[in-house]
Amino acid sequence: MTAQTALPRPRTGRLRIPARPREQRAPLAYLARALAAPLVVTIPVAVWLIVAAPGSLRAPAAAGAAAGILALVVAVAVAAQERWRARRLAGQLDALRAEAERFADELLPAAVRRITAGETVDRVLTAVREPLTGPQRRMLALIADRVGSSESRRAAAMAVGANAAGRMQALATGMLADLRQMEHRHTDPAVLHDLLHLDHRTAQAGRLADSIAVLTGARSGRRWAKPIRMESILRGAMGRIAGYQRVRLHSTSEVAVVGHAAEGVMHALAELMDNAANFSPPTAEVHVYVEEVPAGSVITVEDSGLVMGEVALRRAQSAVAAGSGDLTGLSGTRLGLTVVGRLALKHGLTISFRPSARGGTGAVMMIPQELLTVPRPGMDAGPDAEPLLPPEVPATAPSVPAPAETPDPDEEARHTAPELGESGLPKRRRGQTLSAAGHDGPGHDRPAARPSAGSAGHGTAAERAARFSTFRSAVHGTTPAAPAPAPDHESPASAPGADRDEHNATAPSPESDAR
Amino acid sequence: MTPRPGREEDPDRLYTLTSGRSRPVSDAFDLVTLVVAECDPVPGMQSEHAAILRICRRPTAVVELAADLGLPVGITQVLLCDLLDTGRISARHPRTVRTAAQLPDPEILEQVLVGLRNL
Repeated sequence: MTAQTALPRPRTGRLRIPARPREQRAPLAYLARALAAPLVVTIPVAVWLIVAAPGSLRAPAAAGAAAGILALVVAVAVAAQERWRARRLAGQLDALRAEAERFADELLPAAVRRITAGETVDRVLTAVREPLTGPQRRMLALIADRVGSSESRRAAAMAVGANAAGRMQALATGMLADLRQMEHRHTDPAVLHDLLHLDHRTAQAGRLADSIAVLTGARSGRRWAKPIRMESILRGAMGRIAGYQRVRLHSTSEVAVVGHAAEGVMHALAELMDNAANFSPPTAEVHVYVEEVPAGSVITVEDSGLVMGEVALRRAQSAVAAGSGDLTGLSGTRLGLTVVGRLALKHGLTISFRPSARGGTGAVMMIPQELLTVPRPGMDAGPDAEPLLPPEVPATAPSVPAPAETPDPDEEARHTAPELGESGLPKRRRGQTLSAAGHDGPGHDRPAARPSAGSAGHGTAAERAARFSTFRSAVHGTTPAAPAPAPDHESPASAPGADRDEHNATAPSPESDAR
Repeated sequence: MTPRPGREEDPDRLYTLTSGRSRPVSDAFDLVTLVVAECDPVPGMQSEHAAILRICRRPTAVVELAADLGLPVGITQVLLCDLLDTGRISARHPRTVRTAAQLPDPEILEQVLVGLRNL
């Protein structure tokens, strides 16, 4: 295959410079212009010589002049022709160089970019409108082919990685939830110890899956439906690293991280903590400080291990800063900072490194204000929901004779523990829920029955009474404004008879609903 | 089981609450030990400790504490041991002697059982 066959517009390229093309003959006008000046000078001189010569010498003079002029014309013509050709070749060379540069600087990169962006190789090649030489076209085809195949290999590998990481994440999350259930179910300390060990291992595996998911561009694994308190963020991050027992948290922060960013923040923090724990002596502690600033929250992870030099600091900084970059610089063993960089870019976190006052390195993470929120009290059923409950109870039950000022242990114990009747069995006061449901005036013994026990998820005693009231009116068809207080202090052990059956059949067991 | 396991729970794992300890160092606490706070929570305290101190302003049984905190009893006991060691809580057992002496006749209990079954 010669160069010309594949060319849309055949062009004599640099490959054929030795073979002199035919059309490279100077045009007559060019020759005439080149010859004009010497002829204009030499012809008058020759005429003058012939005229001035004596008669006998005129003929030889004329012949000599004619020969001289002829030689001059030939020489000038040849020189002009060569000069014309040199100029023309130089022009062609310039054009070729410009074309090669355009090919290398514009056409090829554009084609590679389009292939990387996902277009097929064939479409990109046929879309090239510019005239190309054969070698250029072959080069373009080769490069496009290679880029296309490597791009599809990369995409396939990424998809496989993302898919596998996603499944691993789902498995790890499910296992963590299962383990949490088992930890609640098994009370044997030895079993609990083993479960906690498994829990820790699973959390680390989950972090690895999260890292791969972040690097392969999969969507982030867990999403929290609620804001996560800073303490939980720190502990969640800490629980995912091997050396969590060396991490010391120092936080009085009351803020929470919004649900959609909590997982990313936790993951990035876990990577930073893991770095700090791995690059410090196995017995040294890693200290984590939280500070609230106007722009957000600053979390500092400080270790007392190796001091990072200027170069290492800069490298770490650039690894974190290159958040959107590809995985080319990935070393295989050091995924952490790249993951942190990706997460920082995604959530708008700011990460920086500096020498630590503790002798090692400090990693500083800034969480911007828009990712923070102040948790509502009672937002979750966790320990923080508690202040809503018991201490205010005496205020809602005005007839309790001695409020909290005189802490009588026995009296208080009866509020929390079931009170014992004469028989020694736990005893309920009859009708208390019924009367609370009837109306909310004073005069009842203790309308708020055992408010501190287990009521975190079921509302207050008043709500329970309201629910029961609705139920009762629905069963009886009566209004709840007519309470029928049952006789008080009937010992449950003394009346197991048939009248009690009947009673319970008509009035649908207020006691059983009180719980 | 919920379709999205783990979505509603807290992200902190139980071992991070106790730095990996799963059994209490002392056997001062069983399920019904009553716990009373001796001081108020201070800022910077682990939130579970603070919650225990708040709940235990009134004497509270260990098992109730565990239920309120949503934690396994073993973990709660470890947390309580920490607080007991620093003197922030005190613990005592409910008076079992008096109730043991007053246990009713087994026959009555049997009758109660029969009565309950007849309900």
